[in-house]
Amino acid sequence: MAVQTTTDRMSNRPVVTIKLASTSDELLQCYALRAAVFMGEQQCPYWEEFDGNDYSASHLMLYVDGEPAASMRVRWFQGFAKLERAIILKRYRSLGLFVPFVEWARDFAAKKGYPKAYLHGQKRLWEIFERQGFRKVNDAPFHFSDHEYGAFAADLDVPEDAPSVFTDPMVLNRPEDQLDRAGILEKSMERGASNPHAEWADRRHH
Amino acid sequence: MRTGVQAIDGVPVTTRLAMKMEDSLQAFAVRAACFIGELEVPFSEEFDGHDYGATHVIAYIGDEPIGTVRVRWFKSFAMCERLAVMQRFRGHNVGSLLLERCRKLAESRGCNMLYTQVLPSDTGYWQKQGWRRLVPEEMSRAGHKPIVAMVKQVDPSKPLPEVEAPESVVLRREPTLDSSGMPVGAVTN
Repeated sequence: MAVQTTTDRMSNRPVVTIKLASTSDELLQCYALRAAVFMGEQQCPYWEEFDGNDYSASHLMLYVDGEPAASMRVRWFQGFAKLERAIILKRYRSLGLFVPFVEWARDFAAKKGYPKAYLHGQKRLWEIFERQGFRKVNDAPFHFSDHEYGAFAADLDVPEDAPSVFTDPMVLNRPEDQLDRAGILEKSMERGASNPHAEWADRRHH
Repeated sequence: MRTGVQAIDGVPVTTRLAMKMEDSLQAFAVRAACFIGELEVPFSEEFDGHDYGATHVIAYIGDEPIGTVRVRWFKSFAMCERLAVMQRFRGHNVGSLLLERCRKLAESRGCNMLYTQVLPSDTGYWQKQGWRRLVPEEMSRAGHKPIVAMVKQVDPSKPLPEVEAPESVVLRREPTLDSSGMPVGAVTN
C-alpha cells in the first residue's frame, strides 16, 4: 500500500506514485505545492495556510513521473481521520488524480484502524464527495479563508488486522504507510540487545 | 535586524534575513506561490539544490511574508536570484526594497558587484533598479530559457571589477560546480 503505482511501462501513461511524506525533502515538496495553490492561485495569506497544525499531522504526497504533483494533510482525532489541504498542481488537474488520491487517503486511515474519514468540502466539490460515499454530518455550512464549506464524513472498512495494543510490537514500529512490510527497526533486531544504558541504570540504583 | 522603509496601506514593509527553518519556509512558500503556482515552473526546477548554500532575504508586511530574493555568494560577486513578490503586493517597490537589502548585505561583506540572470522581457525592470547588461545586447540560454546577465555596482564610486561568471557554471548545482556536464535545466525533457 505504501507505493501505489498505476504503471503501464509500455505506454506513455504517466507513472503515479502516492506515499506518506517521510523526509524533510518530501515535507518541503508538500509545503511548496500548498503555497503554489493556496497562496499563489487562491491568494490565501501565509499564516492561514501554515496554521500551526503541520507538525502534528501526516502529509501525503502524490508524484507524477517523479515530480511532486499533489498533496494532502491528514490529522488524527479520536475516532476519525480528518482529510484536509488537498491540492493538485494546475498542470496535473486533467489527469483525474483527485478521486484516487482521496481513496488512497481513506484506505490509509482505515488500515491504521480509523472507522471514519472526515473532511470540510468546498461547495463546488460536494457532488464528488457524495459520489465517494461521504455524507454531510449536518446542514450547517460554514466558511473560512474565503470558501464556503460543509462537513462530511464517510464510514471506512477497517481491516481485522488493523493495529491495536495487542498487535505485534514490531508491526507498530513500521512506517505508517507500510504496516504490511518489515521496517528498518526489524532489521535492527539482528544486532541483538546490548542495552547501552545498562551501566547508567546501575549507577542510578547504587 | 529588520529594516523599515516603506508601507503598504499604512503597514510598514520590512526586510530581514532568514535565520531559522521557519524563515526559510516562508521564503520557499513565497517562491512556490509565484513560480510554481503562478508561472507553473516545475518543483524540481524551482528548488534546484542551491537553497542551502544561499542567503534568503524576506520582505514582510506586518508578519506576513510577501516577497523574497535569494543571494548566492561567489568569489568576485553576489548573485541575486529568485526574486519574487506576491501578486497582490506588487507595485509597491517591494522588489527594490529587497534588492537594496542585497546591495547593503554585499557591501557589508566587502563584495562590490551584484550579478543576476534575467529573462529578456524583465531587463527593463532591472534597468530601472540601476542594473545594466554585463555584455551589451548579449543573450545566452539556461536550458530552454533565454537569459540576460546583468550587474550592478555595490558602491557606485568604485569601479566594477572584472567578472567571470559563465552562465553554465553559476546555474550548476553547487556540489557539482566543478563538473564538466551540462548545467541544471540544460536538457529539455
